[in-house]
Amino acid sequence: MSFTFRLMLRDIRSGDLVTLLMALIISVSTVTSIGLFIDRLQLSFEQESANLLAADRLIRSDEGISNDWRVKAQDLGLQLAERTSFSTMMFANDALQLSQVSAVTDNYPLKGNFLVDDTLFGTGFAFNESPKTGEVWVSSRLASLLNIKIGDIVEVGDAEFSVAKYLVRDPGSSTSAFAISPRAVINLADLASTNVIIPGSRVRYSLLLAGARDELAQYEEWVTPQLKEGQRWRTPTQQGERIGDTIGRAESFLLLAGTLAVVMSGVAMALASARFVKRHLMQVAILKTLGATPKLLTKVFVQQLSVLFVAGALIGLAIGWGMQEIIASLLAGLMSTELPEPSISRLWLGASTGLVSMLVFCIPLMLRLIKISPLSVLQPNARIEQNTLFVYLIGFVGMYGLMCLYTNGFLLPSIMTVAILGISLLVAVIGWSIFKLGRSLTSGATSGWQIGLASLYRRLVPNLFQLLVFTLIIMLGLILVGVKSSLIADWQQQLPENAPNHYLFNVQSTQIDQINNETDNLNIERSDWYPMVRGRVTAVNETSVQELYPEERGEPELYERELNLTWSDTLGQGNELVSGDFNAEGLSVEQDVAKEANLSLGDELTINIGGNIVTLPITSIRTVDWGTMQPNFYLILPKSALQNYPANFVSSLFISEADAQPFYKTMSQFPTVSILNVGDVLKQIQTIIGQLSQAIQLVLFCILSAGALVLLASVRSTLEERLEEGALLRVLGARSALVRQALLIEFGALGLFSGLIAAIGAETCLYGLQVFVFNSEASFHPLLWLLGPLIGVCVISAIGIFASRTVLKVPPMLLLRGL
Amino acid sequence: MANSTAIKVTNLTHTVTSNTGNLTILKGINMEIQESESVAIVGSSGSGKSTLLGLLAGLDVNTSGDIFLYDQPFSSQNEETRALMRGQYVGFVFQSFHLLPSLQAIENVMLPAELKGDKDARKKAKELLDKVGLSHRLTHYPNQLSGGEQQRVAIARAFASQPKILFADEPTGNLDEENGNLIIKLLFDLNRSQGTTLVMVTHDNDLAKMCDRQLIMSAGHLTENKL
Repeated sequence: MSFTFRLMLRDIRSGDLVTLLMALIISVSTVTSIGLFIDRLQLSFEQESANLLAADRLIRSDEGISNDWRVKAQDLGLQLAERTSFSTMMFANDALQLSQVSAVTDNYPLKGNFLVDDTLFGTGFAFNESPKTGEVWVSSRLASLLNIKIGDIVEVGDAEFSVAKYLVRDPGSSTSAFAISPRAVINLADLASTNVIIPGSRVRYSLLLAGARDELAQYEEWVTPQLKEGQRWRTPTQQGERIGDTIGRAESFLLLAGTLAVVMSGVAMALASARFVKRHLMQVAILKTLGATPKLLTKVFVQQLSVLFVAGALIGLAIGWGMQEIIASLLAGLMSTELPEPSISRLWLGASTGLVSMLVFCIPLMLRLIKISPLSVLQPNARIEQNTLFVYLIGFVGMYGLMCLYTNGFLLPSIMTVAILGISLLVAVIGWSIFKLGRSLTSGATSGWQIGLASLYRRLVPNLFQLLVFTLIIMLGLILVGVKSSLIADWQQQLPENAPNHYLFNVQSTQIDQINNETDNLNIERSDWYPMVRGRVTAVNETSVQELYPEERGEPELYERELNLTWSDTLGQGNELVSGDFNAEGLSVEQDVAKEANLSLGDELTINIGGNIVTLPITSIRTVDWGTMQPNFYLILPKSALQNYPANFVSSLFISEADAQPFYKTMSQFPTVSILNVGDVLKQIQTIIGQLSQAIQLVLFCILSAGALVLLASVRSTLEERLEEGALLRVLGARSALVRQALLIEFGALGLFSGLIAAIGAETCLYGLQVFVFNSEASFHPLLWLLGPLIGVCVISAIGIFASRTVLKVPPMLLLRGL
Repeated sequence: MANSTAIKVTNLTHTVTSNTGNLTILKGINMEIQESESVAIVGSSGSGKSTLLGLLAGLDVNTSGDIFLYDQPFSSQNEETRALMRGQYVGFVFQSFHLLPSLQAIENVMLPAELKGDKDARKKAKELLDKVGLSHRLTHYPNQLSGGEQQRVAIARAFASQPKILFADEPTGNLDEENGNLIIKLLFDLNRSQGTTLVMVTHDNDLAKMCDRQLIMSAGHLTENKL
């Protein structure tokens, strides 16, 4: 065995290398477990969203799907299914009803399930097949409108179908929110025999794809340049903005958590390296007197660190993998779906965090260690030059680089770095002042109080450093707690339990009172009624939309299709005025669509409403909280402009499962009223939010545990001096109680001040994060101001006393001799 | 006996910079120490004895002048070469023992031989610990040994590399009389039996008198004490 390894084994025995190894393992395993877990969650979100899309990816087209597209998808090994949707009249007995029919292939849907039932107005069960040829599945409402039941025959165009199931939900159609005719599904093979699709029919063709991420990406790259007007590439995250937004924020949170884990790992490595170097200074000097050359020592340390890295990384990766499995299995009971397996390729993240923290924290210190003068053995003060600024700078740059690598961006790392710098400054100023004050108040140390407070100033620099570490760790914890609570509160607020889950459309003004009575009888909550008129924007500031977008490319949503228009004198629930005057005689435009179409106050829009042209200036801009699930509109017109048009009314209601059947039955009295059930979409969103909340709580717990370990490491790093002092005090006759009291005061004070400064820092960081990263409104977090100092005093005193218990138990002689 | 020159020093000057300005500790020292000689360097505290010892052993770099070991330039070499020459010629015994606390007694003694890649390091270390009377303490750690025992381990370690020159810095400074006498006996016995040149810094006049020569360090100058 070589000298390096013999030396290493002896170092392991003494525990010095173990501390370094532990730091490396903590660092690699924390980052790995969080990285892998985030990856699994992301995959899971994609799957959840894919269920809403019925596929991983989808191409929507107003024309038939090109056969080349199918061939290419098959070549890439992707699964494909198709859906063709159109409106048509359905006949049964003597009744007829305009319906929205989807014709689907046998393997539709690729993701998610149909929800069907055998009972009229039943709540449905998942069904993993599509209609067989000759079968039709009809929604309960369609069945009641046509007065048919299972087994009856309905006609669609030239073909006849037998009713096989009541359709509760078609997974791919749940978000095409305004297709309000009652629905039916048939097999695509039957479509031709109906002869309903003729040139000029309004048909929507969809090609659904599922498969591995890489192949999907390849396909996207191949197909997107070929897309023409009326053809769109859709991904699950585009589907349903609310889910996208929720997931986006959760990802930001997890990313933040991971970044903080990276910072904590850095702190752990820095502490362990500093301790290792401190304990090896004399060893290296002695080895030098014995003839060890700098070259040999460099070789020894490089080899030792390499072995350490490989061992630490392997153990850390294994523990990290295990930890995320544990998190996932803890979550399994709470998740409605099984989490997909993590990708092994994500392991590099943990390993490189370990490598970089080793390079930036360990190597510069090791190099200085090797440079120690052998003269130190004769003159202990002839140690190494204190070029600490350089070492810290390297550490800082390395940490910043790691965070950038981790988050794939600069914003979050920059906020964190500025915050840490600010905190360091604050700690230096506040810490120095307080320690100094403590010193001047306690001259002539006799009680534990006085000794404890006085030693804060006596070991000024190490204590300031420790204060910084404590502050950082507590601050990171508080930030996470703050972000977590406000995220979850935000989500819960966004989607209250009884958020409306049904919309009523096509209600005539004469039907409103009657429907109000019926819903009141059933105790169903209802939003206000909004009049609705269809209209299309044809010109902007007297320039026609065709002229503005001659090839119809990149047309903003506002001009692209016929819109639902309303009028109102008051701002509805979830609407907020951004600029202008809502009550002026002009248009009120939703902020996002105004931005997309580059519109501002004063611009004039020309709107074609059933052949009549109305031109109005924009007089106000609003934001709309779509999450309220209230009827909401891009354009609101003044009452004077719309009141003479025949309008339908729209409202939203919350219908519990128990109310569903009586409600549907009641509504069959109003055959012309359209009902849109968005309950399943909502349920899915609520499920995802529930999962996310659980997930981030667990991640938070992991990070805080890692934080506690770092705190312990930090206390241990200054333990020797405290042991020495405690032993001396006891030799000089101090009772154990006095030493314990002094230690308690010292750690308690460190904890209190770090908790307080951490609360200041966390509140500041939260402001930055809320405003810049999460794009939400800044809020004040009184809880943090209580938690910070409390955790500081309790946890740090506990850890301090636990770590220094030897000071109080071991005979002082033994301690002095060992030092 | 035709002794060769083990250490030769010419015009050795050493200046250090402190916050009160430059301070010249050694002022133009010239001396020669022959092979197998035992030499004591005495002088009051702060006279520069330890500085001289550090420079002779190549632990520090002098400001001007030259040091030769066995006619080879030593002080003018870089740290790498000096370390190699230390390993080849030099052994140390320190006032505060300087054993590695994480190593057992035997492992401390093995270190010099291991650094040279000697395969028999353990066997030799055992023999040496036997010679210093510590064969029953092989696997003890330094903090489990008394001061005298620790210094005996340090002596065993110093002789493990079979050095031609042994530097001792106040070897009995931290020991009681009984242990001190034991250590001195050991040092001189090994010095004689192995033909090692012994250069010792001490306060102890009795100990100094046991050496072949006594050099007195005073205000940066070195003079021979002719008894």
